[in-house]
Amino acid sequence: MIGVEIDGRSAQAPEGTTVLLAAAAAGLPLTGNVGCMGQGVCGACRALVRRDGAATAETVLACETRAEDGMRVSFLDRFTLPRQAPYDETALADGWAAYERMLELFPNAQNCRHCSGCDRACPKGLSVQTGVMQATSGDFGAAAETFALCVMCNLCAAACPESIAPNHVGLFARRALAASQRPTDLIRRLHQIVTGAMAVETTP
Amino acid sequence: MDALTRDQLAIEPARVLTAPDLLVGSSLPGWHAAGGGIGLRRALEDRAGIIGVLERAGLRGLGGAGFPTHRKWEAVAAQPGPEKVVVCNGNEDEPGTFKDRFLLGRTPHQVIEGALIAALAVGARQVVMYVNPHLGSVLPTVAEAVAAWRADPVLLELAAALGGPVTLEARASSGRYIGGEETAVVAWLEGSFPFPRRKPPFPAESGVHGKPTLINNAETLAHVPHILRHGAAWFRSRGRGGAPGTKLFSLSGDVQRPGLYELPMGTPLAELIEEHGGGMLMGRAFKAVFTGGPSNTLLTADHLDVPLDFDSVRARGSRLGTGAMIVVSEGTSIPRRVTEFVEFFAESSCGQCPPCKTGTYQLATLLHRIDSGHGTRADLDSIRQLCGLLPGSGRCGLIDGAVTVVASSLERFGAEYESMLRG
Ligand SMILES: Cc1cc2nc3c(=O)[nH]c(=O)nc-3n(C[C@H](O)[C@H](O)[C@H](O)COP(=O)(O)O)c2cc1C
Ligand code: SF4
Ligand code: SF4
Repeated sequence: MIGVEIDGRSAQAPEGTTVLLAAAAAGLPLTGNVGCMGQGVCGACRALVRRDGAATAETVLACETRAEDGMRVSFLDRFTLPRQAPYDETALADGWAAYERMLELFPNAQNCRHCSGCDRACPKGLSVQTGVMQATSGDFGAAAETFALCVMCNLCAAACPESIAPNHVGLFARRALAASQRPTDLIRRLHQIVTGAMAVETTP
Repeated sequence: MDALTRDQLAIEPARVLTAPDLLVGSSLPGWHAAGGGIGLRRALEDRAGIIGVLERAGLRGLGGAGFPTHRKWEAVAAQPGPEKVVVCNGNEDEPGTFKDRFLLGRTPHQVIEGALIAALAVGARQVVMYVNPHLGSVLPTVAEAVAAWRADPVLLELAAALGGPVTLEARASSGRYIGGEETAVVAWLEGSFPFPRRKPPFPAESGVHGKPTLINNAETLAHVPHILRHGAAWFRSRGRGGAPGTKLFSLSGDVQRPGLYELPMGTPLAELIEEHGGGMLMGRAFKAVFTGGPSNTLLTADHLDVPLDFDSVRARGSRLGTGAMIVVSEGTSIPRRVTEFVEFFAESSCGQCPPCKTGTYQLATLLHRIDSGHGTRADLDSIRQLCGLLPGSGRCGLIDGAVTVVASSLERFGAEYESMLRG
């Protein structure tokens, strides 16, 4: 067994478990900070951890981080953006319109200070700063690729001193790309369904 | 608030930096008439002796850390080559500190003369007055004062002593709080955003464009010409109880007369509040003081007798900091004040260290929840956890300052937090 301290509570957990499972074992309420329960896709279990003897704390996803003896953990609350970025996905098929809309929705994205706070904050290890640059230079394809594994944990948005919401810039790029160019396997499958080449069972 | 313009000021003893005849604004003849220039003259006469005088005087950095000034000067003086820089830090943006703006706006020449003496002592030919542009007429006043010095022949003597022309300029800082941190000062003067950098190297070894750079607070430099003029023993005798010199105290909060007070170093806290601040507002009881600004440990009623000097305040587990004293009376909420301060730190965090930006935001969120009556015991536990895991996670002192004030308020006013919990 290992001992960890999570949000002010001491917990014992078997070796090899994740921080999230350790939190569950400690009887902490798994409400605000859990969505997909350990699959690494929802980004809700964002946390600061400090490993025993480490010089600094770091930002992680609790479900993807192995609990270690002497580790200290602080879950981070849901982080709401100062403002919303509403847009109509179907209007993004035209590259020109999409680019203008992005500049309008994320004016700060052009003010990136290149502090790398977002890169260091990203628990998935994405090159967030580069992705923002790619999007602002109009290369939605490259930006979508850079943000492909983004789970919208919002840690980069919380870290960014310019309130750029880099992950939302990334999401916009992914949607803009999808609006004009759906993935080929998806198009083929949809085509098969629509033309009847593939039978689809529907429950009554 | 500027208590120094009040007549009560005239009866205060031992004023070195704020004596009425020194408040000449940008007028260089006015400064000379008040004895200005003599310190620099002495420095030119005995250049090698400058640092020793400061050491005997016991001058310490008044920008917050209290680092012995002569040691910093020695470190820069020991670096080889003539390409060195002296920077006067006049960025001042911390809530509750309002001393440098007074010095730079009302009596800037002593600060500039101090910076020129520093240049002579460490062998620097570039002198920069780095000033927050958001302080009304302060920056224009400094710029005028600098222009007056540039036309003064003494700069030629300085150049002769230093073996080349001396540049003296006033530069606007970003005005951001973080821009006052010494490595952020360096970054800004290099033309970048004021992001603090990892230390080492310290600016004394590698500062502006890699040149050894001496960075001192405006109040620290202001003392220098007076020390050279009147001597180390004189400076030491300005203080009380063995502490040397005087200190500008930015007194604010629940007192009758908030304002700026220059008092002997070592003046007891109670005396500052009662005699100078006119006592507590509306006769309320004293509750606590945020010592040295919003990033330090709180002192409570048991500590009213503490002499306000670096060592005595430290002996009580706190720090003199910038000399800001933010007084809180019974009836004023400690969690509310702490929440406001932490929100300031979260906003001011430059973001390059994620634990700092996210951690201070999380602290602010939890504190705000408690302050607004929605907090639970779990929130308080989470705050304690953050106080344990955050320190040391940033490149600069901002994150640790934020944690210090939270942890100290929990230690001394835990019951007040507890009483506000919902469940
Ligand atoms: C976040 C932060 C902000 C600071 N702001 C200032 C400031 O506005 N003015 C200042 O003189 N020192 C400021 N300091 C302290 C400087 O880093 C440096 O220690 C000081 O200018 C040295 O001068 P001194 O030795 O004369 O005290 C700040 C430090 C930190 C960590
Ligand atoms: S955190 Fe914001 S400002 Fe910093 S590099 Fe990332 S996008 Fe740019
Ligand atoms: S500790 Fe905070 S304010 Fe200091 S450099 Fe890091 S992010 Fe910026």
